[in-house]
Amino acid sequence: MVNVEEIRDYAANLLGKGEVKSVLGFRRGSASAFAEPCTITDVGEAASLVWDPTCLNNLTLYLVKDHKQQAAAKTPDNRPVGIVAKGCDSRAIGVLLQENYFKREDVVVIGVSCEGTGVVDPRKLSAKLKGRTASRVSFYGADGINVRVYGEETETVIPAQEVLADRCLECRAAIPTLNDIVFGEAVGAREFDEPFHAAKAAESLSADERWATWEHHFDRCLRCFACRAVCPMCYCPECVVDSTTFVVTLGTSAEEKANRIRWCERSANTSESAVYHLTRAIHLAGRCIDCGECERVCPVNIPLRLLNTKLEKEAFEMFEYQAGHDIEQASLLSSFRDEDPNSFIR
Amino acid sequence: MSNPSKVTKAEEFEPRIVAFLCKWCSSAGSDLAGVSRIQYSANATPITIPCSGSVSPMFILSAFNKGADGVLISGCHPGDCHYMEGNYLARRKLYLVKELLQFIGLESERFRMSWVSAAEGAKFAEVVDEFVEDLRVLGPQNRLKAKR
Repeated sequence: MVNVEEIRDYAANLLGKGEVKSVLGFRRGSASAFAEPCTITDVGEAASLVWDPTCLNNLTLYLVKDHKQQAAAKTPDNRPVGIVAKGCDSRAIGVLLQENYFKREDVVVIGVSCEGTGVVDPRKLSAKLKGRTASRVSFYGADGINVRVYGEETETVIPAQEVLADRCLECRAAIPTLNDIVFGEAVGAREFDEPFHAAKAAESLSADERWATWEHHFDRCLRCFACRAVCPMCYCPECVVDSTTFVVTLGTSAEEKANRIRWCERSANTSESAVYHLTRAIHLAGRCIDCGECERVCPVNIPLRLLNTKLEKEAFEMFEYQAGHDIEQASLLSSFRDEDPNSFIR
Repeated sequence: MSNPSKVTKAEEFEPRIVAFLCKWCSSAGSDLAGVSRIQYSANATPITIPCSGSVSPMFILSAFNKGADGVLISGCHPGDCHYMEGNYLARRKLYLVKELLQFIGLESERFRMSWVSAAEGAKFAEVVDEFVEDLRVLGPQNRLKAKR
């Protein structure tokens, strides 16, 4: 079992010695039992850090934001940032390092092992509690989650398989491989669901059935871009859907406006949303580390993770490539092997 | 792309193909097909690109979005790339695009890749003809096409 006190002490020690400028972690949320991300800059605040199955967020996003802020700052603070990282989060840091987004010495990875379970899916939990609200959620052991409901004395143990996030059920590496220190026991493979279970299930449907499903999903997309905003890998300063470089001035003629290349319109209709989501999926091929954040924040519940895991499955099975595993490795799309599949080419 | 020719119901469906051809081989291959006076379907709109490795998945999605019934990407045979390894990188990238398009339910026949060298005019004509016939069976592509 991860001892939260140890994480707090470690974070306080880092801050006390001034080795890091801040520590990214989780604290108790004010709205519900779910933890919220926080940035700690003071030794005293370290006592508010928590670690339980409600720590959903991939904090790597805030490393990216910090990096952007420092790049724009007049007097940047070049000390590293400490970050509490689960297995998936550490892989996200791995991908960013692989892409030279920042350097290894810019980050202190305080790894926490999920110890064979993972994080709770809020939707699954609320369905399980039938409208009641959880006041506390904690680990029970490798195969159970302890839940206390508001206004009730006793705690209920729910089997982990019923409330854990889909990605945790399929997780192949629950230990932060990239780390400066790891808290908790190293429990690797889990046996809830086979890897890529959901993607394989979707593949087994017919083409018409698959399109019917995706048309329904793309049709509902609001184009709020929450999936893009929450993804630590979507750090491009310019996105195809934004086209910020096209500056409209008084001198811009109607023809110039009409003729500029628009790869993808911002309007929310099925085909444009399909282009947006497919582009994003391809952009994340070999980079998505399956933290499931895009799916979690989607207001209309589009199974975005499915698109990404489909490509991760192909990368794993066809090209033996796993995102964020080896920071020295060339990325998926910038490398090749002679024995790559050739049969589909005429 | 130009405006679609008006297809009345009585007329036969004419598939429209967007063909991205590598400047160094397939584009020259299509030229050879032309100067050799090989008869082949006129359904493909060729777009010359520097290398098959320079094809962005955006090109393909955009072509489908703007109404293409099929997308063909053609480059040099493995080992013959002018930029040493562009076609190897293309192969890996486009394999993923193909898998993704199939995954969301686009018919797998609509996206095609081929290796055509500058000396293979006849092969180019064959690839286009074959593609057109396959698309004719499938009918118009409406899944990713923008409804404007």
